[in-house]
Amino acid sequence: MAQLQKSDLVKNWLLGYSSETCYNYERLQALGNANAFIPIIKRLYKKEEYAQEIKKYLNFFNTEPSYMGTVIHGITAAMEEKRANDGTVSADEIISVRSALMGPLAGIGDVVSQSIVYPILAGVCIQLALAGNYAGPILFEVIYKVIMLTLGYNMYMLGYKKGKTAILDFLKTGVLNEILELVSIVGLMVVGSMAASNVSFGFNVIGWTVTNDLGSVAFNLQETVFDALLPGLVPLALVLGVWGLLRNKVKPNTIILLSFLLAFITVGLGVLCGVIK
Amino acid sequence: MIVQAIGVALIATISTWWFSHVITRTWLYPIWSGFLVGIVMGKPMEGMMLAAAINLPYVGFITAGGSMPGNAMFAGSVGTALGLVSGLPADQATTIGVILGSVAVMMWNAYMSINSLWIHMADKAAERGDLGMIRFLNYVPSFFVSLILNGIPAFLIVTKGAIVGEWLSSMPAWVIEGFALVGGILPALGIGMLLNYLGQKKILPFFFLGFFLAKFMGLSTMAITVFGAIIAFLIYFFQNTKKEVR
Repeated sequence: MAQLQKSDLVKNWLLGYSSETCYNYERLQALGNANAFIPIIKRLYKKEEYAQEIKKYLNFFNTEPSYMGTVIHGITAAMEEKRANDGTVSADEIISVRSALMGPLAGIGDVVSQSIVYPILAGVCIQLALAGNYAGPILFEVIYKVIMLTLGYNMYMLGYKKGKTAILDFLKTGVLNEILELVSIVGLMVVGSMAASNVSFGFNVIGWTVTNDLGSVAFNLQETVFDALLPGLVPLALVLGVWGLLRNKVKPNTIILLSFLLAFITVGLGVLCGVIK
Repeated sequence: MIVQAIGVALIATISTWWFSHVITRTWLYPIWSGFLVGIVMGKPMEGMMLAAAINLPYVGFITAGGSMPGNAMFAGSVGTALGLVSGLPADQATTIGVILGSVAVMMWNAYMSINSLWIHMADKAAERGDLGMIRFLNYVPSFFVSLILNGIPAFLIVTKGAIVGEWLSSMPAWVIEGFALVGGILPALGIGMLLNYLGQKKILPFFFLGFFLAKFMGLSTMAITVFGAIIAFLIYFFQNTKKEVR
């Protein structure tokens, strides 16, 4: 009876991190997955079976491969072991379980990795780096990898030990969403502080000085109007404006063009006021 | 110079050719890949600060299913290198980085399309049960695709990029001022994208709390993160006690 060793599982988990090495539009992570399952197939099957067993992994596949999606590889490894030993699992079953799980785990994994861990870490570390502190990039690298590998390893082993039913039940309980919502609160506060410290735009170039018999009066659109109303009003309005555009499905590239437009209109007015030459 | 250019070319290549996310996952982000560029070019401090500035528009950067709103990998590595060789200030580097990132989406699309060729060769290798060939096809050809698409432009920018700085500084004052202003606006894009993902109505006040804590009280992002974690913990704690009482 063929049994997977701990080292096979670790290899399978680690090789899963190469699933986007030959990332492509046709089948996304398929080739990388085939590569990740080579140690499993070599352990469980005879040489003449390699061809038919590896083909399962060359199907279209895409999930979040680093944080949460590793659970799918764990589940698959357990299914392969069962298939090799008593033949009760068919190749089609493996393919369909993988295809059924890849979407939901891509969703959860992308939220965890790309809209929680990355922005919170980047938010803090960018400020450190801008202030000239080497801790910025170094903390970013170390903390990011520690969280990624800890979650990735535990999700893989969870998948291997508990199998697909346990995972689906867990996803249904909503515990995960509750945790994600709490972490989102931290995320939003970091996003708010970034809006305050990193968006720097104002209408300082629009202003003039009126001089007559009574003396001179200086007017500056930014200092006289906006700063008097509320400090940070313009950056806040910009961020909320961008958000509004995104909610109306305006493309990021269009927003980049609009940023250029806003900047150069402001500069144009500055030239008219004689502040910029 | 040549050694530095080769080093930067390799960083730009690997930022797209993700041979293992154990190492390369963070190379997607300018704050890390740009810092590496700074080290290779012997200016870690300046490189780090430019890289952090270039990263700002990409804080809301999400890739899903291989589609990207901008090529942050190219903007981070090549943008930092360009900023260093031509002596750009941070706000102008942000603008140049985003322009590079928007144009380089083409490179990403080309990379993702060309790589589809190798998978057909892998299908044939699978028919023969040739596992070694599958492994080779996964790792090797995509390296050369990325080298051509990202490495060579990066090499050219390090060796010839100083021209860009001279060209920019010969521009009239209003162009330079405009570029600097764009650099201040663009972070709003990354932050707006994040709001789009995180901003459910009932927790939106926390965004304003973070904003005004920074603006009125001058708290650092680190301090605000700590307060955020405490608030989240308190909410969790009180929600659970309520459940127990019922």
